Amino acid sequence: MNFDLVSPTTTEDLLRAIDEHRGRRFRFGAGYTDLLLDLEEQQDNELTVINLARLNDPSFTSIVHDGGEMRIGALVTASRIIADRKLQSRYPVLCQAAGQHGSRQIRHTATVGGNLCTASPAGDMACALVALRARCDILPARGDARSLAVSDFFLGVRETDLKEDEVLRRVIIPTDDGEVKTHSDFIKIGKRRSMECAVVSIAYHIESDGDDTMTRAGIAIGSVAPTIKYARSACEYLVGKRLSSLGPSERDEFAAKVVEYASPISDIRASAWYREDVLFNMSKSILENH
Amino acid sequence: MKKSLKVIGKPTPKLDGHLRVSGKAVYGHDISLPNMLYGAILRAQYPCAKIKAIDVSKAAKLPGVVCVITADDVDVAHMSHKRDHPVLKKGEVNCIRDEIAAVAASTKEIARKALRLIEVEYEVREGIFDPADALQEDAPGINKYARGDEGKNIAQTFHYEHGDIEEQKAKSTCIVKRRYVLPRVTHCCLETSVVTADYSQSDGRLTLYSSTQVPFLYQRDMARVLKMDPSNIRVVQPVIGGGFGSKLDMYPFEPICALLSMTCGQPVQIAFSREEEFVASPTRQAMVIDLTTGADAEGRFTFREVEITKDNGAYTSWGATTSFVMMQTFSSLYHAPACVFDARAVYTNNPYAGSFRGYGNPQSTFALERNIDLMAEELAMDRAAIRLVNANYKGEKTGQGLEYATCGHKDALDTVIAKSDYTRKKREYKDAPSARYKRAMGFASMLHVAGGAKIYRSDGCGTTVKLDNFGHLIIITGSSEIGQGSETVLAMMACEELGIDMSKIKVINTDTDIKPWDVGVHASRTSFVAGNSLLGAIGRLKDKISPWAARYLKTDIEDLDYDNGEIGCKTSGRSVKIDKVVRELHFQDPNVLCMESYYYEPASDFQDAGYKGNVSGAYAFASQAIEVEVDTYTGQVKVLDVYVGQDVGRVLNPLGLMGQIEGGVVMGMGYALTEELVVAKGQVVNPTFHNYKIPSACDIPEIHFYPIETHDQAGPYGAKGVGEAPLIPTPAAIANAVSNALGVEINALPMTPENVLKAIKDRP
Repeated sequence: MNFDLVSPTTTEDLLRAIDEHRGRRFRFGAGYTDLLLDLEEQQDNELTVINLARLNDPSFTSIVHDGGEMRIGALVTASRIIADRKLQSRYPVLCQAAGQHGSRQIRHTATVGGNLCTASPAGDMACALVALRARCDILPARGDARSLAVSDFFLGVRETDLKEDEVLRRVIIPTDDGEVKTHSDFIKIGKRRSMECAVVSIAYHIESDGDDTMTRAGIAIGSVAPTIKYARSACEYLVGKRLSSLGPSERDEFAAKVVEYASPISDIRASAWYREDVLFNMSKSILENH
Repeated sequence: MKKSLKVIGKPTPKLDGHLRVSGKAVYGHDISLPNMLYGAILRAQYPCAKIKAIDVSKAAKLPGVVCVITADDVDVAHMSHKRDHPVLKKGEVNCIRDEIAAVAASTKEIARKALRLIEVEYEVREGIFDPADALQEDAPGINKYARGDEGKNIAQTFHYEHGDIEEQKAKSTCIVKRRYVLPRVTHCCLETSVVTADYSQSDGRLTLYSSTQVPFLYQRDMARVLKMDPSNIRVVQPVIGGGFGSKLDMYPFEPICALLSMTCGQPVQIAFSREEEFVASPTRQAMVIDLTTGADAEGRFTFREVEITKDNGAYTSWGATTSFVMMQTFSSLYHAPACVFDARAVYTNNPYAGSFRGYGNPQSTFALERNIDLMAEELAMDRAAIRLVNANYKGEKTGQGLEYATCGHKDALDTVIAKSDYTRKKREYKDAPSARYKRAMGFASMLHVAGGAKIYRSDGCGTTVKLDNFGHLIIITGSSEIGQGSETVLAMMACEELGIDMSKIKVINTDTDIKPWDVGVHASRTSFVAGNSLLGAIGRLKDKISPWAARYLKTDIEDLDYDNGEIGCKTSGRSVKIDKVVRELHFQDPNVLCMESYYYEPASDFQDAGYKGNVSGAYAFASQAIEVEVDTYTGQVKVLDVYVGQDVGRVLNPLGLMGQIEGGVVMGMGYALTEELVVAKGQVVNPTFHNYKIPSACDIPEIHFYPIETHDQAGPYGAKGVGEAPLIPTPAAIANAVSNALGVEINALPMTPENVLKAIKDRP
């Protein structure tokens, strides 16, 4: 483990640090749950860690509910997401995903921003955020902030759209305050019940009106493709239908639409056929348990 | 009438518990000596290759490096009980663990960096990774040091038989033949392997701070390999962070560490990283068991035919000898009129297998108990009933010659059948509608040695007890504490016998220069053997103290009672403090020292060449009933409840016992459901906890434990060994439960969600 460390406390200092390290190797450190493993391997090469843990800017560190949107700072930990009342009632899927992330110790330090920027196809909070059609708010060292959909943020395994001189500031979930009935969960399948890396994951957030008709559906799948996928046609299939009226053949039809977004591989954790079968079964289960 | 006991049987916290939870315990990794260097080992890059050249010159020149050694620099003998294992490998490598060179440097980082500077030129060869391939006629010999007297690429074979197989076959109404495939799993000790060697060039003495479970055999093995006088080797055991059988043999990193220290004249420590631990520490042996069993129309078992092929890996460690224990299960668990058993350990270019809690018994129990379920099915018998019909009993002498002076097998079965509410649940499962979740219960029993195992020339243990002038007792025991709680149990026994408070008892057990001989921690033997040894020493001590006390109290020895730090007279009620008695003895004329020693040897037999004989001083029996729920959408198995009935002889420390039961069941669950060290073409594919899955706290079911007390006369207070038993039936019971729940046959481990879902898909 051999690296330099800078710890900006203001956004101004942070952006300066990014600017100064342009063209050199640097990594952001927030919760360090992934980074530490990489640093362990780090030997002699020049590397700077820009430590975000001391950053004192509410736009990075807080959860704000502001009329039309929920803004979650990149440095917000999984534990804080789990404990946030507003998220619990409005977007429980994010709390459910955060609650299944790593272990309790990991959840106390792992951040939303880290989970997104690691760009693992097995990302937990990332999967929920794709289902919620959240957007990334990105700050460059110089110039104006930009915004893009979380699903577009992921370009491949451990590869994001973040440019060399950019930092992820927060994620934004568009919202409205109408009374809705929410059917949601984060389904995480692995070999054991906790401290797992998903073999298959599904985040779903379905809203229904008083008549039980589905008005909004967001479904994202993880660990079955190089990036987390938003299962658009499966979402569209649900909108306008009544959740309680869907029979076995419709559940199968829906599950088949989800599976279309999967292109799983076989690796040490599971075979491709297993991921695909389980994705189908668990997609079906979404419509069974409500 | 059994004497009522004051401490034995009462929940007693571990003596060293406060040290462990407060972080004060000094583990091997905490050892730091003046001028200590850090050692690191360069291992093979390929599992099978010729080494054409090694160049260590760049590494040796790296500032901070004190020495680099290869096989050319050392004069050592081969390791292992088969003497087929060179400490440092020369000319070729045959296993991904193979040690090619070692470095000692001033820091760990420099040592690791130096390894990267060592240049090795390989000529890669095609390895052999399947025992079946190694047995082919044209297969090359894998281990050139193998004696080969049992056949090419065969490290060790075992043959056992009793009874008339053909006669029993003729009596059989049903015959079931199946193949069982068991994977490679590893111990996952919280503390990774570590040793610190301190060689003094001035007097030629070597001190090893080692986490070995068998310090005296280790001392002997180390001396043989290093060509030293064993008495010049002192083995000190720091607090050990997990053994489970992994520290029963000596491995190359240990003499390598000694060699580095001998070369440098400075202390050297080698500590594995977690990844190195996965790659280079021993495993449970992967094996294929072909088992044929029969039963008559009433469900009485008739015969067992067993053929086992074990993947030995490239060198031989204790894994090859687990057949010794495996055959006991086939010969003697349940009614077994005839048995023929053949096992062979076959060399491959895979990592080699060592010993692991249960010593082959989880594998043999898995095969036997699966076959029993299949026979029950074929005979349309209840799965609990067929086991009860065949249960072992008190006074039984088995075909192999094991003598069950006590036997709680049937009680254990009856208990778990009743406590699990099996009869009612069985009806419920049957009536349950076909749904996503399937539930069922599975049973399995086990038999294991529980009073030592007479394999080495002595199965004994020595103890010295010293009572000081102030009434404190020091127990110097040959046995070792590896977290199993032996110190506490020994102190409890002394407290019981001498009436000295636990806080005034110390157990010394970590230094071969001080403690008397003991064969080591294995075979669930320590409470039994070290306990009896301690009781022998205390008996001798009392023989010194009691006459003086009786005279002083003007009573008979039989009338004395040791309690509360005093020796009292039961009839008069008068008493004298025990420390006063000691002082009087120490300072009287003639002076008498209050210190005594005793060597205990279990009254067991060496087995004959056919492995027949009563090998242990007592036998443990256990039955488990395990209820599972299987998710047919994902293949995930949820273990709901585990019911454990175990013949422990007598409960000594209920807290320690429960720890063994819970720990064993959980370890068995990992073996059953999630754990596998995946080795592909000789390379370990998942050397991290990220991909090697041990159960987490959330996976742990309710574990209901019902001790069966059979009061075995041979054991201390009637107790038997308990340590290995709780994990042995667990994988079998879970496999039976999952098979029953799904109507499929699970004949391999681990039952990962994927393997279970595959079984569902393949269901006819």
